[in-house]
Amino acid sequence: MKTVYVCNDTVTGIFSGIYDAWKSKKGEEECEIALRGMLSQQLFCDYVEVEETEHKAAAVEALIKKHLGRRAYWDIYHAVLSADSKKGDAVLGTMLAARAIPDSTKIMEHLSHPKVEKVFELSRNVGGEAHSYKGFLRFRELLNGVLYAEIEPKNQILTCLAPHFADRLPVENWMIHDKTHRMFAVHEAGKKWVILWGEEIDETVLEMVSDKEEEYARLWRGFCRTIAIESRRNPRCQMQHLPLRYRGKMTEFSLY
Amino acid sequence: MGKQELIGGQEMSDVRTCGRTTDVRRGMGLYEKLNILTDAAKYDVACTSSGTARKSDGTGIGSCEQSGICHSFSADGRCISLLKILFTNECIFDCKYCVNRKSNDVERASFTPEEVCTLTMEFYRRNYIEGLFLSSGILKSPDYTMELICATLYRLRRQCNFQGYIHVKAIPGASPELIRQTGFLADRMSVNLELPTAESLRALAPHKTRKNILTPMRLVQNRMEENRQEIQLYRNAPRFVPAGQSTQMIVGASPETDYQIIRVAESLYQRFELKRVFYSAFVNVNDDAALPAKTGEGPPLLREHRLYQADWLLRYYHFRAEELLTEEDPNFNVLFDPKCNWALKHLEKFPVEINRVDYKMLLRVPGIGYKSAIRIVKARRLGILDFADLKKIGVVLKRALYFITCSGRMMYPTKIEEDYIARNLLVAGEKLPAEVTNMGYRQLSLFDDVNFSAPETSV
Ligand code: SF4
Repeated sequence: MKTVYVCNDTVTGIFSGIYDAWKSKKGEEECEIALRGMLSQQLFCDYVEVEETEHKAAAVEALIKKHLGRRAYWDIYHAVLSADSKKGDAVLGTMLAARAIPDSTKIMEHLSHPKVEKVFELSRNVGGEAHSYKGFLRFRELLNGVLYAEIEPKNQILTCLAPHFADRLPVENWMIHDKTHRMFAVHEAGKKWVILWGEEIDETVLEMVSDKEEEYARLWRGFCRTIAIESRRNPRCQMQHLPLRYRGKMTEFSLY
Repeated sequence: MGKQELIGGQEMSDVRTCGRTTDVRRGMGLYEKLNILTDAAKYDVACTSSGTARKSDGTGIGSCEQSGICHSFSADGRCISLLKILFTNECIFDCKYCVNRKSNDVERASFTPEEVCTLTMEFYRRNYIEGLFLSSGILKSPDYTMELICATLYRLRRQCNFQGYIHVKAIPGASPELIRQTGFLADRMSVNLELPTAESLRALAPHKTRKNILTPMRLVQNRMEENRQEIQLYRNAPRFVPAGQSTQMIVGASPETDYQIIRVAESLYQRFELKRVFYSAFVNVNDDAALPAKTGEGPPLLREHRLYQADWLLRYYHFRAEELLTEEDPNFNVLFDPKCNWALKHLEKFPVEINRVDYKMLLRVPGIGYKSAIRIVKARRLGILDFADLKKIGVVLKRALYFITCSGRMMYPTKIEEDYIARNLLVAGEKLPAEVTNMGYRQLSLFDDVNFSAPETSV
């Protein structure tokens, strides 16, 4: 009978589920990784609640890096951040498939395998969204000097964005708020960034911006308007590259 | 003599003179200036921040991503990555195609180095931009202008500690020493070729000469070469334009053929080791007898697009210019992209077997981009590929199917015959980017029964 490992939708949760499935030494057809809250009940399955631990997650991370290589880990890690409910299963399937080929570090090139292809697809999707937000995210300067940004991503990309901005703005205090997943990436000048869950913040503080903020926002809006060439005007093309879902939080698309 | 001293001195005097030149508009605010100097810079096409990767050293602001980052898209659908501005739109030259030419009566403005630095830093902190693209009209003399630009960059790098991307224009006719100094502060430097041939340059840019343009280009190339050796010797030697140099040509203002244009591009890549050649569809902003008459059709965007496609083929697909066009057949086909066109003319080389054909030939198959080609080469080591696998890999089968076999079989029975394939490819439609469609090309009767859809990044 098939065993379904039910885990939390976090990297630690999913890696813990994979750890348990891997330990059981079952084949690909006999086990499945499912996410709590995204479960579709099937008949004739054995449901197991996964106990989530840092230790299990670290062991799986080490296992992947050692046998599949860092490059494959990068893809797998990104796949795990995706919003897709079958992601854990795809990762497990990929790990099992890697055992069947002579050089397991080449697994991500084995695109004719459906699970590998899925991981590749998810990773590309998450990487793409993270890359978009590296450009489309906007900070505003609050009265206390903190740079504050809000995003509404489909995937959990904060851990992709935080290192990028930490490198770029090391001497600033900044905070990125992922409204979809209710998470924050917080960076204090000169320190390492951290991720926070389930914090409540005082909305009124977020509305109080610094004296200069509106002036720079106005300069930027003016720049974006003027840089467009009228005789090449093409809103459809603009829409393709910059879909509406990003625009809500972007300075140049807000009126004030 | 310290660089600090030299540039510090220049900066002092520049601030004073800048004040004088804009005396009449003493009250002009930063918002108006930015508006004028953005408007004057917008026809420059090279807005990319790619080509260099740099981590911040932890003390300043900024880093660079190898692949570049787009921060926004303007209403014309072009990527906004850099704060693209002119330092000044004053100009002593009179290039016929340019809004800022001396003989035009337009509102003039000049930034101060401080203003450029403030805008760059404050925009960058808010993640509006990836860096600065600074070009300029020619104020007083080429050297005078180049000094101002150099002083601005010096201030931005050394005083503001800005470590983001900087693309700067070298002013034709400026002294080699100034160009050298500026190059150590920038990531990319470019000199505009402006027009493909010396004759056109004479006709449309009377104050510029081919020599004035190629000299700084050569200088930057040689300095980059020396710099490579310095870096080998001393790992911490300062970097000279690490993202390389680029140039741009205006397409459609002068009578050159596509063949002439890509031959020029090819020789720039080979002889000057340029990173990129940009093509800018001519936008007619001045009424001038020397320019093509305004037609109401808008800028030649399809032509510009074909040139970019051909440029890709030169840089990433191992094509040579004379394989794509010839003296007898000197312009690109409006109906087919240059690679497709080549394939249709060389049907004797097809179909090729996906599981065996070498990488270079794989690159020549319509519908297979260079990324897909690499994936195919890797994936076929692990198993035999069929059409379904190719689809997953990202091959555009409705274009590729006439040119390939998988394990000896074609996807459908088809004739290997130019007319037949050409007709079918037309029905399948070329995925032109929205930038080109939507712009009047739909009115061409040839395109009437072609369905345009989403763009495709590979050729
Ligand atoms: S040099 Fe020519 S192209 Fe450049 S700003 Fe002056 S007139 Fe325009």
